[in-house]
Amino acid sequence: MSSQAVRRLILIGLMIAIAGLITSINPVFLTLGNLQKLFQEAAQVGIIAVGFTLVMITAGIDMSIGGIVAITAMVSINILSYTKIPVPVFVPLLLLVGAFVGFINGYLITKFKLPEFIVTLAVRSVLSGLALVIAVKDSLGFVQNVYIQNDQYLWFGTQTFGSIYRTTIAFVILGVATQLFIKNTRAGTNIYAAGANPVAAKLSGVNTERTVLGVYVFSGICASMAAIFISSRMMTAMPELGIGSEMDVIASVVIGGTPFTGGVGDIWGTMLGSLFLALIKNGILKTGISPWYQPIAIGGIIVVTVIVDVWQKKAHEKLTARAKLRKLDAEARKSAA
Amino acid sequence: MKKLKITNEIRLGMVLVGLMAVLSVISPRFLSLSNLSNVIWSICIIGILASGAIYPRITGGIDLSLGSMAALTGIIVDMFMNKMGVNWIPAILLTMVIGGLIGLFNGFIVAKIKVPAFVVTMAAKTYLYGVALVVSEGAMLAIMKPAPFISIGSDKLLGLPIPIYIMLTLVVISQFVLKRTSFGRQDLAVGPNEVAAKLSGVDPDRVRLISYTISGVTSAIGGVVLASLTRQTFAAAASGIELDVMTALVIGGTSAVGGRGSVVGALLGAIMVAFIVNGLNLLNVPAPYHPIVTGTVIILALLLNEGYLVPKKMTGGVKNQKQAAA
Amino acid sequence: MTTQTNTNDDLLVCKQIVKSYNGPLVLDRVDFSVKRGEVHALVGENGAGKSTIIKVITGATNRNSGDMMFDGQVIPLNHSRNNAQDLGIGVIFQELSLIPGMTVAQNIFLTKEPFFPGTRFINHRLMNRNAQELIDRYQFPLKATDVIDKLSIAQRQLVEILKAMSMNAKLMIMDEPTSSLTKTEVAMLFEIIRKLKSDGISVLYISHRMEEIYALADRVTVLRDGKLVAVLEKEQISPAEIIRLMIGHKLEENALSHKLEPKDGEVVLEVKDLTSVGKFEKVSFKLHEGEILGLGGLVGSGRTEVVRAIYGIDPIDEGSITYLGKPYKPSVLRSIKSGIGFIPEERRLQGILATLSITHNIGITNLDRLAPKFVLNLKKEGEFSREGIKLVNVKPPVPEQLVGNLSGGNQQKVVLAKWLIRNLKLVIIDEPTVGIDIGAKDEIYTHIKNLASQGVSILLVSSDLPELTRLSDRIIVLRKGRVFTEFKDCVVTSEKILRAASGILEEA
Repeated sequence: MSSQAVRRLILIGLMIAIAGLITSINPVFLTLGNLQKLFQEAAQVGIIAVGFTLVMITAGIDMSIGGIVAITAMVSINILSYTKIPVPVFVPLLLLVGAFVGFINGYLITKFKLPEFIVTLAVRSVLSGLALVIAVKDSLGFVQNVYIQNDQYLWFGTQTFGSIYRTTIAFVILGVATQLFIKNTRAGTNIYAAGANPVAAKLSGVNTERTVLGVYVFSGICASMAAIFISSRMMTAMPELGIGSEMDVIASVVIGGTPFTGGVGDIWGTMLGSLFLALIKNGILKTGISPWYQPIAIGGIIVVTVIVDVWQKKAHEKLTARAKLRKLDAEARKSAA
Repeated sequence: MKKLKITNEIRLGMVLVGLMAVLSVISPRFLSLSNLSNVIWSICIIGILASGAIYPRITGGIDLSLGSMAALTGIIVDMFMNKMGVNWIPAILLTMVIGGLIGLFNGFIVAKIKVPAFVVTMAAKTYLYGVALVVSEGAMLAIMKPAPFISIGSDKLLGLPIPIYIMLTLVVISQFVLKRTSFGRQDLAVGPNEVAAKLSGVDPDRVRLISYTISGVTSAIGGVVLASLTRQTFAAAASGIELDVMTALVIGGTSAVGGRGSVVGALLGAIMVAFIVNGLNLLNVPAPYHPIVTGTVIILALLLNEGYLVPKKMTGGVKNQKQAAA
Repeated sequence: MTTQTNTNDDLLVCKQIVKSYNGPLVLDRVDFSVKRGEVHALVGENGAGKSTIIKVITGATNRNSGDMMFDGQVIPLNHSRNNAQDLGIGVIFQELSLIPGMTVAQNIFLTKEPFFPGTRFINHRLMNRNAQELIDRYQFPLKATDVIDKLSIAQRQLVEILKAMSMNAKLMIMDEPTSSLTKTEVAMLFEIIRKLKSDGISVLYISHRMEEIYALADRVTVLRDGKLVAVLEKEQISPAEIIRLMIGHKLEENALSHKLEPKDGEVVLEVKDLTSVGKFEKVSFKLHEGEILGLGGLVGSGRTEVVRAIYGIDPIDEGSITYLGKPYKPSVLRSIKSGIGFIPEERRLQGILATLSITHNIGITNLDRLAPKFVLNLKKEGEFSREGIKLVNVKPPVPEQLVGNLSGGNQQKVVLAKWLIRNLKLVIIDEPTVGIDIGAKDEIYTHIKNLASQGVSILLVSSDLPELTRLSDRIIVLRKGRVFTEFKDCVVTSEKILRAASGILEEA
């Protein structure tokens, strides 16, 4: 069994154990209502995490996702408040907001070779300001809490299909489609190649720049999509929406087994990771632990996961090196005999 | 060539003077002493944090946990003084030790376990925020005593607030350590070429450990000063300040791969951003525009640092630091 | 010797190729051809132009002039890597070009994955089957679904070969393919090369190892100083003849005048049975005061590894080191403190701090003297810098100049300078003049000689044979990680050393 499979089994086992523990403390956990919410929670983070996973596979990072959520939600609120553009027309166009920001990120990173981290952090700063600037305000200039009343818009985040929220369904569809895409198309294969060994990828004819650029665009689109579902579920949107959600997203991806070093990872892991994170958060809530522990849990989980990953990799390298030495030894003995 | 290092700061200074000229034309209020000291005052904490954060940055790392650390140490120093009755001086010293230990822990994971710095410190930013929430019980606490502690933030010396002296002292010390001590040299050598540094007798792991520890200590100092200045503590007291610090460093010309950096430059960078923000205020540009400006300035500064946007001869032919180092 | 009777037999024909990187000619009107289905060896000393001609053929760089034909098609002057691939020129890169984390099949078919008919979805099953068919055709010990990370270097090389095959390569270029293979792996590779040959595929084989060339090659092209020296037919190939042609007469005369004169002063360094598993074995030698001991051998013979271990960079498994009469346990810091200097190979990667000034580069190895109590003595640092610059004559002599902006020769001088201003007893120098122009080379030789005459002991590793023979007082040749032979008290020539490095023992 591959180490990836072991890791996932451990993760699933851990989730079952944690779920059992939470239920034993508070049986409400296992009710349909709570589980529905838990999955929706996982989906809201997970949709962003899907795009983010691809960025991480190219060994990049996108700190602007929170800003993209905010700006998309604000564009959406403006359209809902001031125009009569029908929902089926403008909602797909909202995805272009993320695509555009992603393009700028990708362009700065691939064209000018600027450090991903600081660039996207700077873009996040710009977006968070822009979101405030375009937020709907009252006559005194204060940001207004606009309640969304458009039923068509609310269709996305507040309604269920069967007993599952549409957000969750969208997440699963997006996740499965993306997984199929990265594993079964040339463009998807190129993403892994660009992350694992960009020089070799280039030698093999992969257009690494275009691949990386595309991945940031996709990450932006995913963040915009999440913005639609989240604002619909909350039936409102504040300009701070999504800002700070980077940590949740990063935690989901890292728990899912996509390392920061690139070239490895997949969406199944990220889907599990976002569920794990939602479970922890829901558990903290349901067991009456103070929500103050939530950031400790998230930050702690990230550090521990990354350290374990590094150790595992080192152990693996040691094993291969030892195997190589054994082989040399055997050969030397053979030639001596 | 002799003045290569200096020209970077002089250039910043010239831009700053130009900016001041423009702003004073736009708004006569700009050059008033109260306005100027307000601007300087507003960057005290950034300057204090930057004087330590520059060390990990130059080695090719980053410390993103300093905002959470400053908030947490503010809460801790208050706890020492007002819950446990520790005298204010040992309370501050203890807090600095705690900051140093947290930094050491970050440094340990970066240097010894080889986890990328931004992951380690970003995660630290998150869990330290959580720890701050737990310690402060999620409340915003006002600090009213002890008087000497409060006076750190409120008293003036020769017409200037004390935090400015603290900041300037730290900047001077930090600049001295960076430019004039063996540790500073080693710090500069690790970023551009770790292998070469190692073969020349530098221990990169040790340098990293110390760098993050220093950043932890200055974060604690920043936290203490912030608490005294605002007379309150809460977990989100300094949230997001890491971006301001990074902006100051980037504008100040600190480049990880280049092994370049200057605390004075960072201070000038921070002042520049503060002037721009101040100018926007004076022009009645609403606050939401400020992060837009900050973000844009970072990107422009990055492009500038990497040798874009300037004539080639000014960069000595080195187009891109990343490429030059490769 | 150059017989080209039947041009239809020729797969690749290069005529009068000229290449220069803004300066001296690296390739000077070279004629070169590879026949269909032959194994053609390309040999020459370092700097003879082998790698340049490979780059020209594979489109990694462009020739200045000359005609090239491949398989009946003219190769244009603006040749490119993609173009080479399309024509059927495959390269097995020394630095492997595979993607970790991917399977053998994925690597072979990267950017050329087969689709399900009528879709843009990759047909993994078909891809794996195609890959497995390719593997089975050559009976490689591989599975299409193996992940690259788990394969040995030799197996990865096979994947590279398959990758080229999948692109219908007609010519396979292998650059030192055996440098990191074990004996059995080499045998396997040879078997495969013969199989490729019987399939009508040409192999262009670059190697320093004479026994390999002797075993494999149908023809050998010898280059020297960017010029074609000879093309040998199968029956003309003998290691001794190749070595003779590679070295040439001109240099031999030059080298003849160099008589080794071992110094017998005090023993500064004694190495006994030094072993690092997989790198070198039971290496022993003594180094005397003021002596220049040359370490010869092919790339991969363990030279660099031995000196790195002595300096304290890599661990030692067995054996002992005695330095200045005392047992010595190496570590970099201890070495620096006790008067050992180290000038590494690949100065860009290991030697210089490109974005720092000359002063800072010189200062970094002298921090113990510049800052005994933490605070730097800037005045002293400036003095050190000026002293160093003057000592080795760095141009321009500007202490604030960034080292990255200096020429290669001057960069190397800075690396020398940062050690020369120290009170050294032993200097380890690894490939001191790679990529440096003649003038700077001579200067560096003078510095090394001067150093020795001042009583400093020098351990010199070099692949540049004239350099090795000219500078050394005594030469040890390593082969496959062991001391093969020692030259002392005799007249040494490049040829003798190369013969020894190739495993040909002769009476001194």
